[in-house]
Amino acid sequence: MAVATETLHAPKDYKSELKPVWCPGCGDYGVLSALYKAMSMCNLDPEKTVVVSGIGCSSRLPGFVQTYGFHGVHGRALPVATGIKMARPDLNVIVVGGDGDGYSIGGGHLPHCARRNPDITYVVMNNNIYGLTKGQVSPTSMVPLASLNAKIDPKRWKTTPFGMTEDALNPIALAIAMDVSFVARGFSYRPNQLSDIIAEGINHKGFALIDTFSPCPTFNQDQTDDFYKDHTYDIPEDHDPTDKIKAFALALATENYPVGVIYRNDNKHSVLDEQAYLRDRYHDNVDMDQIFARNLSYTVDTK
Amino acid sequence: MSAGTATATTDVVLRLVGESGEGTVSLGDLLVKMFGSMGLDIYTFQTFPAEIKGGTVMYQIRAKSGTTLSFGDAVDVLVALNDEGFDLFGKGLREDGILLYNSDVFTPSPSPGRTDYALPVTTLARAEKEAIRHLITGEALKRLPPPVNIIGLGALLRLVSAPLEPAERYIHDLFDRKGDEIVRMNISALHSGANYIEEKIGNKRTPHVSPMKRDHDIITVTGNQMIAYGALAAGLKFYAGYPITPATEVMEFIAKDIPAFGGEVVQAEDEIAAIGMVVGASYSGKKSMTASSGPGISLMVETINLAAQAEIPIVVVDVQRAGASTGMPTKTSQADLNLAIFGVHNESPRIVMAVASVEDCFWTMTQAFNLAEKYQCPVIVLSDQSLATRKSTIPPPDMSKVHQETRLLASPDERAGGFQRYKDTETGVSPMAIPGMAMGIYTSTGIEHDEHGDPGYTPELASKMKDKRFRKLETLQMTEADRYLKIWGDEGKVDVGIIAFGSTEGVIREATQRAQADGVKVAHMHLRLLNPLPINAIKEFAARCDNIIVPELNYTGQLANWLKINTDIEMIPFHKDEGIPFIPNDIYQMITSISA
Repeated sequence: MAVATETLHAPKDYKSELKPVWCPGCGDYGVLSALYKAMSMCNLDPEKTVVVSGIGCSSRLPGFVQTYGFHGVHGRALPVATGIKMARPDLNVIVVGGDGDGYSIGGGHLPHCARRNPDITYVVMNNNIYGLTKGQVSPTSMVPLASLNAKIDPKRWKTTPFGMTEDALNPIALAIAMDVSFVARGFSYRPNQLSDIIAEGINHKGFALIDTFSPCPTFNQDQTDDFYKDHTYDIPEDHDPTDKIKAFALALATENYPVGVIYRNDNKHSVLDEQAYLRDRYHDNVDMDQIFARNLSYTVDTK
Repeated sequence: MSAGTATATTDVVLRLVGESGEGTVSLGDLLVKMFGSMGLDIYTFQTFPAEIKGGTVMYQIRAKSGTTLSFGDAVDVLVALNDEGFDLFGKGLREDGILLYNSDVFTPSPSPGRTDYALPVTTLARAEKEAIRHLITGEALKRLPPPVNIIGLGALLRLVSAPLEPAERYIHDLFDRKGDEIVRMNISALHSGANYIEEKIGNKRTPHVSPMKRDHDIITVTGNQMIAYGALAAGLKFYAGYPITPATEVMEFIAKDIPAFGGEVVQAEDEIAAIGMVVGASYSGKKSMTASSGPGISLMVETINLAAQAEIPIVVVDVQRAGASTGMPTKTSQADLNLAIFGVHNESPRIVMAVASVEDCFWTMTQAFNLAEKYQCPVIVLSDQSLATRKSTIPPPDMSKVHQETRLLASPDERAGGFQRYKDTETGVSPMAIPGMAMGIYTSTGIEHDEHGDPGYTPELASKMKDKRFRKLETLQMTEADRYLKIWGDEGKVDVGIIAFGSTEGVIREATQRAQADGVKVAHMHLRLLNPLPINAIKEFAARCDNIIVPELNYTGQLANWLKINTDIEMIPFHKDEGIPFIPNDIYQMITSISA
């Protein structure tokens, strides 16, 4: 981890001059503040830190942080971040984005990032909705199924006016199944706890996923801040996150959602270590002329 | 050559056909090794079925004293290991050609003029294995394949009057560690094949392959191999890719050696992830690339566009294959030119190059990295299946001639006091910062942005920044586009001019030489840079041609259309899209018909 050694950075030092473009009351403000604080707690060197995102409301975040940033295309933040971290293991890499970006269009990258286990921290701002495109269901939306003849507001769920036709997915359970080496849940209205979790994720050596409830006051009137205040609870202090079965049990809770560190695997190997091993072992093993010589079919000397 | 003239000059075309996975390719590779070690110039063409086992594979080898520019027109010697292969690829054999066939498998119907040699390959090979049965143990015996290919090799070498010594040396190299018995079996098999044919030749006329002396070393390599080596020589540090025919070998060759250069390879979960990683790695300061083929490139276009908009240098190799959608994955084509130039939503600047020969794969790749770094944008390099799998004999590239360009980095002064990552400059190129640099903080983004990289949507900003990015291509076009082309053939006024790109260079050169020998004035411009086009050089060239032909392997004449848009000069499109390359005669006939 690239830590600033000579200066101590306060949370405000990580704040850029750009003002966030989010709606008033957006949960992402809380996540941003918690991120500033977590970066300060870890005293990350801003010039050796990159915040990477895809597309969506929350993916605008890199611009609001006074570090290097990368704001790419929809759903591809993890591959970009993996490329950065592999090419430059000396950098701190933090990925941010929404539930649509991370679990829908980008969902295919999650298991492979888990397999590679690069030392990056991924904060998903989960609002159970597509906000930037104005209120369509996301993979984590909790809209009733159409077959239940649910009374839903057809104006609000525009692409699913009669209810959902697909089930929601459970990102925490999925992440544990994929063996993401650090799995946590945060809530933007519990900012102190969230900064602790993010800081722990940053300090974790490996891929850390922090699914964070970050309510959308504009397009989601169901999973509101009050809803989550009523439906979340602190993970019991005696929970052992290295116990995968117990972690699954926590992840499968559907009525109330535990907040805190749910699972961790500190023994998982990382693509970074493997690549470093290869570079070290085969360093200067061969040069271009030797490579050409392997393919010699005619040499002047022997004729 | 004409069969039967025993001269010191060698020019022989051999075609091997057989069941895929049954050793046809191995036998071809063996012959290439032997002819290569005799100092001959080799040019091969391979065409495969898409399946790993089953289907017919064809492997054509031309061995020549002097430069070989194509795999030839008519086949002198056809080696048919099964009847299916004979039926499919037999018609390439010249009327007075030689057929060597596996008589254990089939008997071809006779043809007047053709000389047939029946070789019971399987029987002879089994006999060789049988002869050492008492010398080796049960398990090893079971695992020992009958030396089918060595029988074939011996027969073929004798058929073309080539010496057997290189093959004997090779057998020792390959089998010495496996024990005396195995070496003896193979040496015996080599002679068994040779003797069997020797008896049959009698006083019939056969082609001759004579060893040649060279004054420099030669390597035998493929197009995909030289793409990989060119990238390593250019300073590649990060490769991410996803397997796809016929591009996978680029990744395989790079993976083998990149750790020695301090770099790394990732096999990504898909092409979208691969290009994302490549963009991330280059953003963080490392020279990065990927290679794929049409379907994979299609998946990458969104992120290639991001690299153009965020001004990140990347190199993307497209080893083109034939057909739309899945098409014909193992066949060749030049139909991705439009994809390379236009494959993007909206518009963004990218450089498009094409490799022209196995040797050129190396040099064009080094230039592709240099242009990517210099202009901070994507460079798409077009190759194709025929060139990717083509084996050529070339001198080892002279590493002292490799020049490595690196991106323009912002100086501390430029970074101090509000760094402008996307500064609007005269050339369009803005000094870049990479993470870790003091005072260089900025957000790299695909969203429209101002000179600092901050998002902005005003009409003035939109026009200014797009203009700045496209200016890089104008700079390239004005300052150096004319360097990335070659002109062959006659100087001054010519009857026929040819403008082409990619793997067709050698074939066109050979056809040009043939037409010149007939007295036709011909010139040939072969483009390495397709976007931006070297307009001035093209116009100068066109001015001295009475007619211009644009031969290419696609259905709609993509290069002809692109030249027309850019130069408004009348040209004659000449295209075929059958999954196989041109042969020299295709081009020669076209030249002749135009000049007549």
